Amino acid sequence: MTVTLEIKKYTAVGKSIQRVDALEKVTGRAIYGDDIRFPDLLYGKVLRSPYAHARIKSIDTSEAERVPGVKAVVTGKDAPFRGGEAIRDQPFLAVGKVRFAGEAVAAVAAETEKIAEHATGLIRVEYEQLPTLFDVLEAMKPEAPRIHEELHTYAHMPIVNPIPNTNICAKFEFNQGDIEKGFKQADHVFEETFTFPTGHHCQIEPFMAIAQADISGRITIWVPNDAPHRLRKDLADAMGVPFERLRVISPPYMGGGFGGKGGLKVEMVCIALAMHTDYRPVKIVLTREETFTSSLMKHQAVVTVKTGVKKDGTIIASQSKLIYNTGAYAEKGPTVTLHGCESGVGPYRIPNVKVEGFTVYTNRPVAGALRGYGLPQSSFAHESLMDMIAAKMGWDPVEFRLKNALEEGSINPTRGDVLTSVGLKECILKAAKAIEWGKPRPPNRGVGIACEYKATKTPSGSAAFIKVENDGGVSVITSAVEVGQGIKTILTQIASEELGVPVERITVTSPDTDYTPFDASTTASRATFHMGNAVRLATKDAKEQIFALAAPMLGVSPEELEAVNGDVRVKGGSKKMTIAEVIRGKYRAGHTILGRGSYYPEIQGTMFSARSIFYMYGAQAVDLEVDPETGKIRVIKIAAAHDVGKAINPKACEGQIEGGVVQGMGTAVFEEVKFDTSGNMLNPNFRDYRIPTASDAPEIVPIIVEATHDEGPFGAKGIGEMTLVSTPTAIANAVYNATGIRIKELPVTQEKLFNSLKDRNA
Amino acid sequence: MKRVVRFRVNGEQKTAHVEVTKTLLDVLREDMFLTGTKRGCDSGECGACTVLLNGQAVHSCLVLAAELDGKDVLTIEALSKDRRELHPLQKAFIEKGAVQCGFCTPGLIMTAKALLDENPNPTEEEVRYGVSGNLCRCTGYSKIVEAILTAGEEIRRCNK
Repeated sequence: MTVTLEIKKYTAVGKSIQRVDALEKVTGRAIYGDDIRFPDLLYGKVLRSPYAHARIKSIDTSEAERVPGVKAVVTGKDAPFRGGEAIRDQPFLAVGKVRFAGEAVAAVAAETEKIAEHATGLIRVEYEQLPTLFDVLEAMKPEAPRIHEELHTYAHMPIVNPIPNTNICAKFEFNQGDIEKGFKQADHVFEETFTFPTGHHCQIEPFMAIAQADISGRITIWVPNDAPHRLRKDLADAMGVPFERLRVISPPYMGGGFGGKGGLKVEMVCIALAMHTDYRPVKIVLTREETFTSSLMKHQAVVTVKTGVKKDGTIIASQSKLIYNTGAYAEKGPTVTLHGCESGVGPYRIPNVKVEGFTVYTNRPVAGALRGYGLPQSSFAHESLMDMIAAKMGWDPVEFRLKNALEEGSINPTRGDVLTSVGLKECILKAAKAIEWGKPRPPNRGVGIACEYKATKTPSGSAAFIKVENDGGVSVITSAVEVGQGIKTILTQIASEELGVPVERITVTSPDTDYTPFDASTTASRATFHMGNAVRLATKDAKEQIFALAAPMLGVSPEELEAVNGDVRVKGGSKKMTIAEVIRGKYRAGHTILGRGSYYPEIQGTMFSARSIFYMYGAQAVDLEVDPETGKIRVIKIAAAHDVGKAINPKACEGQIEGGVVQGMGTAVFEEVKFDTSGNMLNPNFRDYRIPTASDAPEIVPIIVEATHDEGPFGAKGIGEMTLVSTPTAIANAVYNATGIRIKELPVTQEKLFNSLKDRNA
Repeated sequence: MKRVVRFRVNGEQKTAHVEVTKTLLDVLREDMFLTGTKRGCDSGECGACTVLLNGQAVHSCLVLAAELDGKDVLTIEALSKDRRELHPLQKAFIEKGAVQCGFCTPGLIMTAKALLDENPNPTEEEVRYGVSGNLCRCTGYSKIVEAILTAGEEIRRCNK
């Protein structure tokens, strides 16, 4: 249940303190993966498949091996491992056949990048092309050729159930109430199908890794990966070695992740090379083109939603079928589908629900986690349909949503759990108000709204240590990854609040699996909640130890003490000591106080199997203008209201919202990865795959809503993923409002709109 | 093939024997270890590698090192006057929350410096247009634009 937190003056929490990493970043001193150097570093280059589906008949590496400066050449047989979090289906390098254009077939490590590149070009591969499958609906058919003949033999997560002898690598279903009965009770039934395009994360930092094997065969990898402990597990599972044979070190900073830099990407081929370089480290940095073709994409999806509504506007039943094109390997596709399904009918009180989701292999490059985790796709469908229903039944889109919106104590329509900490209606109302919803607008102007709720992966764990040094300084030892979202700052604020130590005296580590304790991942908007709790508990543990030391020194019991501004003081009294004095008072020869904290929700089940420990809510409203002659959209303003539980750092939350909204806008109006008929990507660069620039970005009104969560640190939940989920649909709905043209296939490009306007006017 | 070039980097005279195929970005990052300048696309599309060349913002990945003879290069590492006191742009980027992952930040700050050097009193639209060659995927640009406008004010105040 939601509790109203006692009105307490926080010293660090809720304040927009400056980011702890900002100084390094504005002075060019922040270190990213590609900035790391070793004296004996080798450089790796990868030969990639030009075919989307082909049998490898032979590979001849002899000429490449003879090039002076080449240290190692590897192919699939040199690292015969298969990895993958959801399904262990992806070879480190292709074995037997290739399944997408861009797949790693061979790799070279050499003294320089140039030599490696030259040698890679000398590798001869003979292919026999196989029938290709790009269309996700074609790929689902029973008669479709198999992309993974051995799907039934692959190891997989407990919740993932591949369908043998098909290309369907996962299927999920949620049922509540009685869907048939529900539709019978409906006065109106609406059904539409929507498609969502393939896109790319476009982190400005390209993918990279450095790997090194030591004489015992133990492997260390430096890689910007959003889950170092999960990476270690995935690699250990793939290679059949215990965890301690692998060490994952995060470079201090990651140049943007958005879900893409997790799992196994460049790690696989980099390790394959490192196993053959006589213990020399090898670095691979993907080119921008490779980052597009061979890291990870966003799922293309086809979603059908059918909704039954009563005369009074009550939604009585909703059914949706979601099909995600996951490309050649499952990656996180199955759990992306799962989360898409969980929010598959939208944030509404609907008693009768059926959701089916399919994750389907095709010969496209691999699709996986992208900020929003399956929701941009599912949300576009049900939030577009909501708008269409409202229009047909004569409802105002805001009123129609409010009538059905989830509220405190509502039943989650897909999982059936009781929802608490629900700030949805406040989000809808505030977003609408911020764009002056309902105010008459000139022709060709339009407004649109969309709202959503999202689960976090549950259950999942986080652990942390706190070191309090005998000068009063504090280190937070954690595996949370600073991907740009500001987690180092958030954890600093949480530790500061709990221990009363000023933020300037606190440092936060970067992950190194040899030293920093387990964390499931910096994904799913889970870090503030899960790691925030772990850090808070670790700090509390250290504080209690310090109080136990201080109590006899101050002649009181530990319960009478409080920690404020680096001091331990007697509550309501004047007696106090600094934390440094307390530790030194006890340990005159020097010592440290170690606090430990662990958070794991009291929810049974394997990962992703349970109802979410918290849900995020949000609504976005758009005001835009469409040029009736050219179809050009000018987005004037986007108001984005997000329920974060409690904003630990409001400015950081605003930053998340603004960034997500502009990513969402890109998805709405121009981003789409294109392919030729044989499956080669046509626009793997920033010239042809355009992402929003400062000139494209509209005015954004970030609105923070705080429906506190009783288990979150200081009431906090999460924010990152929700910020782009509703944007494309709110824009598409506003385009409808402005023009009467309903776009069921994103993106709403100018070309598409121009043609539709021509048809409309004809 | 190598060529000898003499040029200034961050106020210091350098003599470099550079491969004619190398870019300014290669020389900065690989030979001089000035890794604050980032490589995002290597083809002049993302702006992460922006430095000042004779005061003009350039994509260092598109400048051949062999063409540097007699030129003057300024990178993010030397932007603050004495390397302790921050440039108004750096201060404003911190204060306004314009930094997230930080990978585009050095390039954006260098572009913004060239912009404000040429036009210390830009409109918001001019700022947005001026930095539209620098891609940022994290921030949505609002706080970056705000930071540049704020830095402009600060620079004008100091120059009065």
